[in-house]
Amino acid sequence: METYLTLIIAIVGAPLFPGIILKVKAFFAGKQGPPLLIKYFTLLKLLRKGSVYSTSTSFVFRLGPVVSLASALVVLFFFPFAGSRPLFSFHGDVIVLFYLMGIGRFFTVIAALDTASPFEGMGAAREVFFSTIAEVTIFTILILFYRLNGSLSFAEYFTGENAIALSHASGALLLFVIVALFMVLLTENSRVPVDDPATHLELTMIHEVMILDHSGPDLALIELGSFYKLFFYSSFITHIIYPFTFASGILNELIFYVILATVYVAIGVTESIMARVKMDLVPKFILTSFALVFFATILTMGVLQ
Amino acid sequence: MNTFLLSLTVLSAGGLFSLLSYRLFSLMKAGYIFITAIGSLIGLYAIWAPLQGGPSVSFSSTWLHLFTLSFSLDSLSAFFLIPVFTICPLAALYSFHYMDNAEHCGRIAVNYFFLTLLIISMALVATADNIISFALAWESMSLSSFFLVMHEYQKSSTRKAGYIYFIFAHVGAMFIFAAFALAYSYTGSYDLLSFSAMPDSIKVVVFFLALVGFGSKAGIFPLHIWLPHAHPAAPSNISAVMSGVMIKIGIYGVFRLYASLSTTSLILGETILTLGILSGILGVVYALGKHDLKKLLAYHSVENIGIILIGAGVGMIGLAKGNMAMASFGLAGSLLHVLNHSIFKSLLFLGAGAVLQKTGIRHIDQLGGLMKSMPVTGKTFLIGSVSISGLPPFNGFVSEFLIYYGAFLGLTLTGSSFIFAMFAILSLAIIGGLAAACFSKVVGVVFLGEPRTEKTAAAEEAGCTVTLPMILLAAACLFIGIFPEPFILTVFQALTNITTLHSVGTDEIIVVAGNLAFISRLFLGVFILSMLLQKILYLKKEITRGPTWGCGYTQPTVKMQYTGTSYAMSIVDFFRPFVSIRTNYSGINRIFPGRTTYESHVDDIAESTLTDRIVSPLLYLLGKLRWIQHGHIQLYIGYIIVTIVVLLFFI
Repeated sequence: METYLTLIIAIVGAPLFPGIILKVKAFFAGKQGPPLLIKYFTLLKLLRKGSVYSTSTSFVFRLGPVVSLASALVVLFFFPFAGSRPLFSFHGDVIVLFYLMGIGRFFTVIAALDTASPFEGMGAAREVFFSTIAEVTIFTILILFYRLNGSLSFAEYFTGENAIALSHASGALLLFVIVALFMVLLTENSRVPVDDPATHLELTMIHEVMILDHSGPDLALIELGSFYKLFFYSSFITHIIYPFTFASGILNELIFYVILATVYVAIGVTESIMARVKMDLVPKFILTSFALVFFATILTMGVLQ
Repeated sequence: MNTFLLSLTVLSAGGLFSLLSYRLFSLMKAGYIFITAIGSLIGLYAIWAPLQGGPSVSFSSTWLHLFTLSFSLDSLSAFFLIPVFTICPLAALYSFHYMDNAEHCGRIAVNYFFLTLLIISMALVATADNIISFALAWESMSLSSFFLVMHEYQKSSTRKAGYIYFIFAHVGAMFIFAAFALAYSYTGSYDLLSFSAMPDSIKVVVFFLALVGFGSKAGIFPLHIWLPHAHPAAPSNISAVMSGVMIKIGIYGVFRLYASLSTTSLILGETILTLGILSGILGVVYALGKHDLKKLLAYHSVENIGIILIGAGVGMIGLAKGNMAMASFGLAGSLLHVLNHSIFKSLLFLGAGAVLQKTGIRHIDQLGGLMKSMPVTGKTFLIGSVSISGLPPFNGFVSEFLIYYGAFLGLTLTGSSFIFAMFAILSLAIIGGLAAACFSKVVGVVFLGEPRTEKTAAAEEAGCTVTLPMILLAAACLFIGIFPEPFILTVFQALTNITTLHSVGTDEIIVVAGNLAFISRLFLGVFILSMLLQKILYLKKEITRGPTWGCGYTQPTVKMQYTGTSYAMSIVDFFRPFVSIRTNYSGINRIFPGRTTYESHVDDIAESTLTDRIVSPLLYLLGKLRWIQHGHIQLYIGYIIVTIVVLLFFI
């Protein structure tokens, strides 16, 4: 029961949280900002519209939104939100899930290339480059987690006796992971300083420019997929920060959503106080995250022997 | 074994039939394809029992009254024979509409004959049971494939490619023979199984010597140089067979030798893994930098051989360390990737051949928009691309997952083995990301967007015998992805030939395979539901078509599309100094600039090192000795006499 409940809350509630980011940014800018539910309004608006398809495109263009949404959704099925049992789980699921996100990205990229637009090609090239480097960080984190408790699935990471949590013996190493994962979150979800979702200059965009030609319900599906992706990464960080081991499900939920909101606030703060880095410095930014977790992983060689 | 020999006989009848009936062009092709298909089906029937764990069968005959040629068909051989008997007939079928120039009927008949010879010799290599039969079959495999590469022998680039291949094949063979000779001097037996009786230090030397030979056939970095030359030169159905099937015979050599040596030295696994990481990463980086579609695919073969070796290396390290779960999954992933790669790589080469046939263009930056004019080729190529990028729910992911699984199990090891397991995982992650980058480039630039040249715009779908093999192969990619269990079990059956391996129990294998199958089906289900959702959301909605949003620019041309070169450049640039990039830019230097040009070439460091450091000095040195060769026959006879006299002193 709790499994279904948390999953439904995640699926329905994911579009709420990006509103927090906008609020925080508005606060820093001294504005009132859009309402918290702005993303729901956007989705509803898009769903009411029709679409304009470019004459250059083929069926691949329409496949892009579907695959990216499907891959983001499947990831949610395997995540133990607020310490509850996930819908599905097996030893090794993390590898599959990160690869599933890969297929979502693959189709977003080729859908962008389908439009024959030079801008979208540019965005696609950046997306595949940066995500390849980010993938290395992710897998280093998986290696570190395997060293810490020998598990290979989200459920095993965050539930059970030997759960991964900041408060445990090797928690110091997890500080690196949290910082690195936050950097990957910014990269993979096209936030400042890697990408600027609010920019109006196509040349400087990554993710936004790839979906320039999508409109109507297709765009809504893409947006929904990206909310889920952001929600997943934020929950991942939340779980590392705090283990949800209370007997009461409701208490777990409450703390989970508070910390989750804090992660979103952190994203908003980062976006407000930082400018985006130059495009050729982005690989360095992502490699910094890799260096952090790689260092932590090397440390386990001494710690555990 | 009788059915197996029958299949080889039927196959050779097909080869002879093509030679005899070459004047009746269509009949020759149809007859050849029919006989080859029958022969391959009999072959598949013959390997069915050994694949299921049936007893191995063997056959031997004496040759020249001196040697015994013996062959035996066990589950490991049978596993490598699956691609031989499935991909080759499909490639033959493909040739019906692909080789459609009746003026070349004689040449095509010869091509068919050598294809048959290649199939038979590959089947014999995979079943050879002693040194002599292995060496004979290996040589005939190299020679027949050399003639296949030389199909368009009038082109000087083809001849160059053929000679490069010839040199690599024979230098490699020389190392294999050296390894066998060394082994024979210790065991005194021709039998491959007797290799296990050698002292450990010799086993390592034999393994490394043979690895050079097998590696040059399989295309392990830095012995891969012939691949990007030979594959573009050969006809596409031949590239499909060579890249999909023949280079795997090199991998078979590694596996068979490893099983025969029954050694568990750590150094073997570490070397194989290191070579795998090198081949994998550099292969895909060079592929990204290439503009010729078939050259790009050839470098992807190097990459996939890298993945196969990473799996094998993980498995061998696991064996050396006694971590049997790690060993089982690493080796299983490696073997399964052999099968998977043979499916999607031949699919991609066949697709590239269809594009080449219909447009006549190899340079990907001159193609584009083919998805609309060649829908079947486009869709099957897309499936092949997703599979080779190792993305679920297709087959490439299944084998990569097993390798990951094995490598993660190896993370509990200590010291250097932990480092190796960690690098195996990280390099797989990098390779996966880069392969996805490279194939999004190929699909995006070649098949999507707008045609960049008039020739491309005029392309139309290839004939039905060209598209049918591609459809079958694409279906196989999805099938293995969604129903991986029987294939994984077959792989574990093949691994029973490695006697040092105590494989994990069938229960555990079924659990892992079942999980993999489950998540693939789950994703497919969610995907179909999302498709339905999209359909529902678009009910009664207004859909209009218009030009692509040009960001305010109103005069777009097809030339403005992002090119494959620009797409890949930042990634390739990241991997300097392992790749050298030569650019040629005319520059803009006047107020009203004239025609500006930009060219970039990505050079393979293995090839440039070989040319600069080995071939050029060697040529210089040998040039100095040219006076020996002067054309006076009496002096040549004198050389022979002097040589014999000198040699007599040593007896």
